[in-house]
Amino acid sequence: MWRDISTWTAEVRWIFAKEWRCELRTRYALNTLGLFAFTTLIVVSMALGGPVGLSEPARPFLAVLLWVILLFAATAGLPRTFVHEEESRTAVQLRLAARPSSLFCGKAFYNLTLVFALEALITPLYVVIFELPVASRGGLVLGLLAGGYGLAVGSTLVAAMIAQAGTRGPLFAVVAFPILLPVLKIAVDAALASVLGEPAISLLTLALLYDAMLTIGSLMVFPAIWNP
Amino acid sequence: MEPVKPTLRWLLWLWISMVIWASFFWAPLIAGFNGLDGASPQSGRILFFHVPVAIVSFIAFMTAGFWSIRYLMNRKPGADRAAFAAVESGVIFCVLAIVTGAVWAEVQWGAAWTWDPRQTTIALALLFYGAYLTLRDAIEDPETKARISAAYGTLGIIVAPFLFFVLPRMVESQLHNAPGSTRMSPKIAIVFVASVAGFTALFFWIHGLRRRSLALTADDGLSGGEYQTSNDLEGSTVG
Repeated sequence: MWRDISTWTAEVRWIFAKEWRCELRTRYALNTLGLFAFTTLIVVSMALGGPVGLSEPARPFLAVLLWVILLFAATAGLPRTFVHEEESRTAVQLRLAARPSSLFCGKAFYNLTLVFALEALITPLYVVIFELPVASRGGLVLGLLAGGYGLAVGSTLVAAMIAQAGTRGPLFAVVAFPILLPVLKIAVDAALASVLGEPAISLLTLALLYDAMLTIGSLMVFPAIWNP
Repeated sequence: MEPVKPTLRWLLWLWISMVIWASFFWAPLIAGFNGLDGASPQSGRILFFHVPVAIVSFIAFMTAGFWSIRYLMNRKPGADRAAFAAVESGVIFCVLAIVTGAVWAEVQWGAAWTWDPRQTTIALALLFYGAYLTLRDAIEDPETKARISAAYGTLGIIVAPFLFFVLPRMVESQLHNAPGSTRMSPKIAIVFVASVAGFTALFFWIHGLRRRSLALTADDGLSGGEYQTSNDLEGSTVG
């Protein structure tokens, strides 16, 4: 059994390293995620007129816009996870090289690092640009971690589904949003609560519950999606 | 799949007619459900239809999940069609629940849509299964379509209970009544349970009809066989 676990973790590490090696060759996802989020941030800032453009009572609601930026940036960059395997015809080799569960976990970890990197880049900028009054920094960070995890795992699963469909571009958003919306709704509420200084512990528990359910569900159905 | 016997079909219509009659003329008014400032005392009767169709939409989505798992286990097109038929009917019942809920909310709370937790989650459930139908349409190969749809349908077994039961209970509602919070008089309870049973039977009847119509128009040529793969099709010759 220990040998199986060690092979499984080695496969996960191998997939994760392969994803980053491929990413650093093209920097497609990094550029797309970063530039998309940064452009949206600029557009939002210009449209609202920066920190002075909003009245004091309306400022906490900027926490909602932060998640809109993160979601749309992720939608632009994450679907490629499996699409590029189909386009470069490497899916068959991957099926032979790794078990579905280790493949899913490797890809999900890669997406997770991308989403966390995006959050680490955009959130401080967002807080500074809009002078967002964060009452509970810990709550905001935990909400971003829990929401980001759901975003990464859900996107990995949907990316695997749409890689096998004909029309891939708009389909990702159509299929991913309903799966991601429950955790995003909770994450948005948690961000709002942390800005207002209200307790967010029940919301964070709920987000973690959904994350856990999404992970178990994804691991259950991924083999059926991946293996014809 | 065998068609429903005419006697049972007539029994179902009779049952639903009785439920409709009883909800308007036999059941008493429901306390606390009498419109904004008590202006519409009869409006509470919509609950005999609104709550059952919401329950049936959940039953339909769970039926879809059951058939999706069956498809993943045996890869029979019949199971895929049964899952698809259940989602189609579930979406219709879900829309009915949303519309009847909005009509009643307008009368009871003065606004048709307030993003109350229960309204939010049923809208999310509708989006989730709407995406199932879109995903299905986007895939051309019948085997891939059935496999990916079955995976999505199976995921619904986890997501739907979260949306229907967990999320609305854990997020505090300002307006919506929590299930079980209203004490029902025996007459109200009888009509309510009869309505849930009637609508559930109606769903399974519609589901059976749709399964049979899908089997008749299926291009796999077999009602219970396996989908032909692209290799099989390439190897076959006309005539």
